[in-house]
Amino acid sequence: MKYVGLNNYKILLKDSTFWHAFQNNVLITVYCVIGQIGIAFIFSALLTSKWIKFKSIHRVVAYFPSTISAVVVGFVWMFIFNYDYGLVNSLLRALRLSDLAKAWLDNPDTIIFVASIPLIWQYIGYYMVIIMAAMTSIDPSIYEVAEIDGASGVQRAIKITLPLIKGPIAVAVMLCIAGNMKIFDHIYVMTNGGPGSSSMVMALHVYKTTFIKNHFGYASAMSIAILVLSLALVGGSRLLIMRPWRKEEN
Amino acid sequence: MGHKAGHKITKGFFNLILILFSFTCIFPIIWIFYSSFKTQSEFMQSSTALPEAFNLKNYISVFTQTNILQYILNSLRNTVLSVAVIVIVSFLAGYVLARYGFRGRAAIYNYFIMGMLIPIHALLVPMYVQFQQNNLTNHWYTLLLPYVAFGLPISIMLIESYISTIPRELEEAAAIDGCGFFGTIFRIVFPLAGPILATVAIIQFFAVWNEFSFALILVSKDTLRTVPVGLTMFKAAYTVDYPRLMAGILVTMFPVMVLYFVFSKRIIEGMVAGAVKG
Repeated sequence: MKYVGLNNYKILLKDSTFWHAFQNNVLITVYCVIGQIGIAFIFSALLTSKWIKFKSIHRVVAYFPSTISAVVVGFVWMFIFNYDYGLVNSLLRALRLSDLAKAWLDNPDTIIFVASIPLIWQYIGYYMVIIMAAMTSIDPSIYEVAEIDGASGVQRAIKITLPLIKGPIAVAVMLCIAGNMKIFDHIYVMTNGGPGSSSMVMALHVYKTTFIKNHFGYASAMSIAILVLSLALVGGSRLLIMRPWRKEEN
Repeated sequence: MGHKAGHKITKGFFNLILILFSFTCIFPIIWIFYSSFKTQSEFMQSSTALPEAFNLKNYISVFTQTNILQYILNSLRNTVLSVAVIVIVSFLAGYVLARYGFRGRAAIYNYFIMGMLIPIHALLVPMYVQFQQNNLTNHWYTLLLPYVAFGLPISIMLIESYISTIPRELEEAAAIDGCGFFGTIFRIVFPLAGPILATVAIIQFFAVWNEFSFALILVSKDTLRTVPVGLTMFKAAYTVDYPRLMAGILVTMFPVMVLYFVFSKRIIEGMVAGAVKG
């Protein structure tokens, strides 16, 4: 082993695979924040309304995917996206839309979006339960007043519910960012970074650099970079979300 | 009248959306379940049709031709031991931190809590090098070390904040009646802290059972592999035989699935409590 000073960091700045992987992490995070927390918010609003039946069954079933291991989720969606036998293409063929059937995991242009779907699927229920817990703690008399004033369901959800549960939503967003910066298992199983390195994420790049190329020093430098980048993103989002109502809380 | 009918339609529509959503949450598993009874050619003919007969061939082959049972036992051993150690150590640490004011208490507490901020993937390389150099890889206890270490911070935090809310009177009464330190905490405080200990055990059970990264890098001996890593080995072996792969997946999922659907209420509450407070 030889002391190389900051050399590894110089390489890192020029390593296009690493920055591409970082970009993928950010993209996956964006899809997941919108997909997981957005959909979870809508379903939570429905589930806490008086219209929905079988609430507790929905909750138990929706939460179930988040207890499965990421490896199993990766496998399951690998089957679902399979070109010949997958559920997606079977459904498309049954609807006589065979033209739309694709080898979903083989297209480098759409792979990040496609690979985000299993992640969104797995954790909607998780965020749904967090958001529902926050929503049920809101005083129902607020809604009664709003209803008398003629506010519609959508208006109530956006103008009353959302501001009242900002805190838990902020927590959910931070959990989501932190979780997606370290995404590894799903991608390792589903695409292993491919095709090419189009679905490479940071943790997988470190793993491959360490255990396939045996570049331990450079992989360590990347680990530090991941640490700094994810702390910066989580911290940054925290500041961004927390600031507006800091005054109200005190 | 028209207004009421419109109301009914929206109501039905929302119910339908949620039913569809819930259905998509479990359908993939149902699909894998019934497909695991198919032969390979049956699956290739139609991947969505129900199996012609309940053929146990895939399951028999999974149990006889792979090490799946060994993987399950390894995962079980890791999980049970890690959870037990985490619960006991974090109970003791959480108790002392909640009940005693001593010099350095805040520093020790913050030191534990800081552990939660570290993304584990930043530690994969240094941990691998350290384990390798100290000859700690490929032992039955190898994975217990990171699992306990990374399980402690959130567990200590949850237990500390729970014990702070339990009144001291019971412990004082026990001490007056001649109960010693360990007698007091294990006979009096332990049962009182039951709910939070159950929460900690649940969170850690799923975290350890599903853990992949450390299991992948720190253990390379097949007889020590855990379920998630073992499954990825199947992928290489049965790339084309999907039904058999599906049978393997289901076998490994089964214990956790049963546990989840039996204790779902408790598990959901526990895991969400951990996430929100963490």
